[in-house]
Amino acid sequence: MSSPRIRQAFYRITRNLCDNKTISFNAVRKLSFFDRSKTSDWKQAVSEAEKIVGYPTSFMSLRCLLSDELANVAIQLRKLVGTKHPILKTAKGFLDNGKHSLQTRGLIVLLIAKAAGAREDSFDKHEMVSGIYPDQRKLAEITEMIHTANLVHKGVVNLDNLQETNGSLNDMEFGNKIAVLSGDFLLTSASTGLAELNNTYVVEMISQSIADMMTAEFTPLRDLHGNAILKKTAAFTDWERQTFLQAGSLLSNSCKAALELVGHEDELKQAAADFGKNLAYARQMHEDLLPFISPTVDINGIISSSPVIKHTEIYNNEEDVSSMSIDELISTIQNDTETLDWCIWKCAEYGQNAVDNLKLFESSDAKNALNRIVQATTNFKQTKS
Amino acid sequence: MASVLKNFCRRPQISNDFMYQSSWHRRLLFLIADGSKNKKFKHGFIREICRQNRKSLCAGKVNSNVKFKPPQRCLSTNVEVTTEKKTLDPYSLVEDEISRIPKLIKQELVTLNPELQSTAEYYFDGQGKFFRPMLVMLVAKALNFHLTNEDRLLPSQQKIAMIAEMIHTASLMHDDVIDAADTRRGKPSINQVWGQRKSIIAGDFVMAMASISLAKIRDETVVSVVAQITEDLVKGEFMQMGSKENQDERFAHYINKSYKKTASLLANSCKAVAILGNCGDSIADIAYEYGKNIGISFQLIDDLLDFTSCDDVMGKPTAADLKLGLATAPVLFAARKYPQLNALIMRRFSQDGDVQLAREYVAKSNGVTETRELAQKHSDEAVEQIKYLNKSDSLKALETVAKLVLSRNK
Repeated sequence: MSSPRIRQAFYRITRNLCDNKTISFNAVRKLSFFDRSKTSDWKQAVSEAEKIVGYPTSFMSLRCLLSDELANVAIQLRKLVGTKHPILKTAKGFLDNGKHSLQTRGLIVLLIAKAAGAREDSFDKHEMVSGIYPDQRKLAEITEMIHTANLVHKGVVNLDNLQETNGSLNDMEFGNKIAVLSGDFLLTSASTGLAELNNTYVVEMISQSIADMMTAEFTPLRDLHGNAILKKTAAFTDWERQTFLQAGSLLSNSCKAALELVGHEDELKQAAADFGKNLAYARQMHEDLLPFISPTVDINGIISSSPVIKHTEIYNNEEDVSSMSIDELISTIQNDTETLDWCIWKCAEYGQNAVDNLKLFESSDAKNALNRIVQATTNFKQTKS
Repeated sequence: MASVLKNFCRRPQISNDFMYQSSWHRRLLFLIADGSKNKKFKHGFIREICRQNRKSLCAGKVNSNVKFKPPQRCLSTNVEVTTEKKTLDPYSLVEDEISRIPKLIKQELVTLNPELQSTAEYYFDGQGKFFRPMLVMLVAKALNFHLTNEDRLLPSQQKIAMIAEMIHTASLMHDDVIDAADTRRGKPSINQVWGQRKSIIAGDFVMAMASISLAKIRDETVVSVVAQITEDLVKGEFMQMGSKENQDERFAHYINKSYKKTASLLANSCKAVAILGNCGDSIADIAYEYGKNIGISFQLIDDLLDFTSCDDVMGKPTAADLKLGLATAPVLFAARKYPQLNALIMRRFSQDGDVQLAREYVAKSNGVTETRELAQKHSDEAVEQIKYLNKSDSLKALETVAKLVLSRNK
């Protein structure tokens, strides 16, 4: 996110908050601190980490990008310009973010691979580049591909629920076709890549996380069209389950698989898996808190974000939050300091668990980089001062 | 003698182009491969021939004890003669195994989420033909008998049959969204019932569960072979989007697409069960080639039925391919006689009346007959591929399958 946008956001929220006269000036200052620290911390942690792994995760290998199939997709996508098919947004996301290392899943897999290192008795250390085996790099790439495929497939729209403004039926149908095919292409490239790793346990773990990501779309927190919804009975455990299914499972299994490829001990593999899971929780919690701090960020899915669910749980589901407007919802949560504090505390707890999971690993620059990423994700301490 | 033969086989034009050699070459190669595996090769080529003849005689006797008793067949090594007398339903040999498949698949798809489960299971209602699992299990049984003289099916091979059906169905779930299908197997298509979005996601789920069961077989080579199937399926779908200007290229493109979209699943599943049965490479190749030829033949007939069948019989709308803009074998053959069709093919039958016009040209031409002839050729080749395997009921059933593929009407 660029700094002018953040500043703009800050002005807007300041104005909103002052109008509402519900949050003290202190609160506003707190939030601004948070925003600034977040972006710089995060960027710094990630760019340092990229140096440690030698070279960054290519989003997809050149082989994949240069393939006839994806070239075909790129050409076809032009036909969709002007419509609001979600695949355009996803495609734009690759190009915009490609440079700015938002592919942190792959990066984390590489870091944990390096932190675990080679086995003591191994004779193949010479194969490593910057302390990482080629197979582990392939795995990191597969992780990114699966994540992207999931984004693409989640962008398939239901044709009987179209709004005229989004685009004509034909265009949307065509958009779906492209989305299905390119998502399938990424998934099969991933599964061919997995097969090349020659380890059926890795195939099993990663396939399980694909299945989990698909299950995430069928939970009570998602409607038929993939929009976030909130049932009155929702509890925080639902949020945890949802987060695990949609993000935690892939990160956790990929971290574990990176170690499995080298044949590390079970205990270390489990620690890597738990680290991935806790980091995913912390990241999601962080993202969920953002809309209540800076309203310009993407508010999609705000209704089932952790603060809203926690709020519903604490207040015993007395208010009907799902009927509120977004503005009402945001100010309700902002007024509920108990919920916000609890969420910030919970985020820190996930972070602490993640740091604890790393204790089994010997200290190294890769481990330090992972710790800094966790810190950047859970950095709420400055906001408290 | 032995070394002469070995050198002969090493000549690349022979070993690389196995399937187009005369039957004498093929027989020679087969014997060498088979012989060396059994460490009997050193006894020389002539002895191998004798042994092979003895083997087929024995196999004939074993079979005649099992179910059929045509005594003269025991003395005959002529495959064609024996198949003429076969009228066994291939499904009956693996009936029990097939009847268990829907239940097994449902067990694989168990999830805590009832909605996901019913979406994923929607096409596993037992209404499918289970052609793929049937074929894969028969190939497995025939190969096992060839190697061990025992009529058996390994659990892992049975699993491959189930996985083949799961992959096939998952691809149907995606195809129905891509092709905007309305019906399938006589009921509303999955996208009509659950919407496009959830159909795609459930398809991915089925594919993921299939690859979990595949991984649990714990055989890396088999994982690669099956991964090839999904890659081919997607590449075939992409190929379907484009077409070639040149007529000859167009036909090759079409056959290649048919291989990727249909035959690869059968070919590679057959190869996978061969690998699991510990057959050597040469026998795995035979299994692969058999599956591939059956698959192409199957697809050709499918494309033919799209012109000759009516909706009620197929359980899915006919002339569907033309409506989707796809030029299949009957049209491509017809275009050789009526070049006017080329313009229609290139614009993917998009103008009003194109579909009807194309159907008329196909009806006037020999397109349907030529398509059937090509299917026949592939079916014959499939039978040719397996003719040196030891005779068993399963092998006969495989020969019957090659005929059934041609005669089916749905």
